[in-house]
Amino acid sequence: MAGKTIVVTSGKGGVGKTTTVANIGTTLAKNKHSVVMIDTDIGLRNLDVVMGLENRIVYNLVDIIEGKCRKEQAMIRDRKLSNLFIIPAAQTREKNSVTPEQMKKLCSNLAAEFDYVLIDCPAGIEQGFKNAIAGADNALVVTTPEVSAIRDADRVIGLLEAAMLTQISLIINRLNLKMVKKGDMMSTEDIISLLSVPLLGVVPESDEVVVSTNRGVPLVHEKSSKAGAAFRRIAARLNGENLPPEEDESNGFFGRMKRLIWN
Amino acid sequence: MSLLPFWHFQVQWANAMSLAETPPVKLKADRNGLTLVPDSAADFEAITAFMDERLAKSRDFFHETRMVLDLRTRPMRTDEISALCERLYAKSKVKVVEIRLSDDLAFSVEGDVRKPAVPKRDGREPESPAPVIVRNTCRSGVRIVSASDCVILGDVNPGAEIIAQGDIVVFGTLRGVAHAGAGGERTARIWALSIQPNQIRIADLVAVPPKGEKPASNRYEVAEIQNEVIQVITM
Repeated sequence: MAGKTIVVTSGKGGVGKTTTVANIGTTLAKNKHSVVMIDTDIGLRNLDVVMGLENRIVYNLVDIIEGKCRKEQAMIRDRKLSNLFIIPAAQTREKNSVTPEQMKKLCSNLAAEFDYVLIDCPAGIEQGFKNAIAGADNALVVTTPEVSAIRDADRVIGLLEAAMLTQISLIINRLNLKMVKKGDMMSTEDIISLLSVPLLGVVPESDEVVVSTNRGVPLVHEKSSKAGAAFRRIAARLNGENLPPEEDESNGFFGRMKRLIWN
Repeated sequence: MSLLPFWHFQVQWANAMSLAETPPVKLKADRNGLTLVPDSAADFEAITAFMDERLAKSRDFFHETRMVLDLRTRPMRTDEISALCERLYAKSKVKVVEIRLSDDLAFSVEGDVRKPAVPKRDGREPESPAPVIVRNTCRSGVRIVSASDCVILGDVNPGAEIIAQGDIVVFGTLRGVAHAGAGGERTARIWALSIQPNQIRIADLVAVPPKGEKPASNRYEVAEIQNEVIQVITM
């Protein structure tokens, strides 16, 4: 059976798409699935840095599309997990080096060999975005609880629906529970009522993300990280498991009641 | 040799006759303005030559007038239409503002939002076009334009625009921009279960929501013009 192709997009830059791809990909691979992650942010590649595989790049996505190499030559295996691969973007090229049709063909070839194809989408809604969504059949929209990010996420969801990509789920990143309780930050309910797509998970704000990016080791390798735990839950839900929402995800009275019951 | 002048005379006379009997373009005047009705048998060159002649003869009468082009009996190709419109504008600054393609299909050229003048049938009043109904939430970036009323069965998210000549009804929360009575109709109203917009416009007036918390509506809210100002009434 062909694998799932999932594009992780947001519209707004800097909300956590690359971090999400790296951590979900790592978790799925740890759970024994074969995963390939594609960085489609041509010209501003980051996925290789976050995975710590920057030094190992020989070929990249544009080389595969232009036929300069086979896709196996461009795929870089992760240092710790043997069933996790990354196809880096080209840093010295531009986004119009690739067309949506070429991406669609590549993604269907990869889906025939892997359980999961995760596509890291660049920010914006122009050529890079169109390339990234061309080969996908599912979409994860990442947003932070900020007005500007939610505006952009709404626009992106509209564009995804117009492109007939209807399997859309939401991830709320960098949620600061203290600020939500004080009323300084939008809550999960506010965000979902505006965006009207199913919520896949909530990731709390965490300083550890910066550290893990600098070291090139995705957060989920750390057992004690709360954000890492959130990513692990998201990956499990992606895989079809029906996990109940955690305290971060349903705050308020019912959230506290749920915690008592499930504990 | 002597026959030649006679032949010329006869041909000219024949042309004059044909001009009188079936002019390539009929010019009709009604309360909406001037309408050009090209004849179904006329060819394009005859039409343009006729219009050139008419415009040259009565330059001041036609100068800067707005005309409607009625193509119901003689359809035209799009390149012919644009050539004709450009020529009319070049000769006498005549603007073709509307092009009628059939009894119920007309489009306005300028983007001028007037109600299309549907011909009367059996002496009944012309009916306005059907309202535009959108059966899902309007996300950011969506733009809906309606020549009459507009009904949205869902929310209107910030960044979406709804523009209607008539009323706007949102069966949800209005958070984007809504412009009712876009053609200047000050009696137009905006209805929504909850009005929390970026901007609300009725005819030529614009309003922004006041600062601070507003009481949540129990049933629905209506925006309308009262005393030259847009008011929102909460039911």
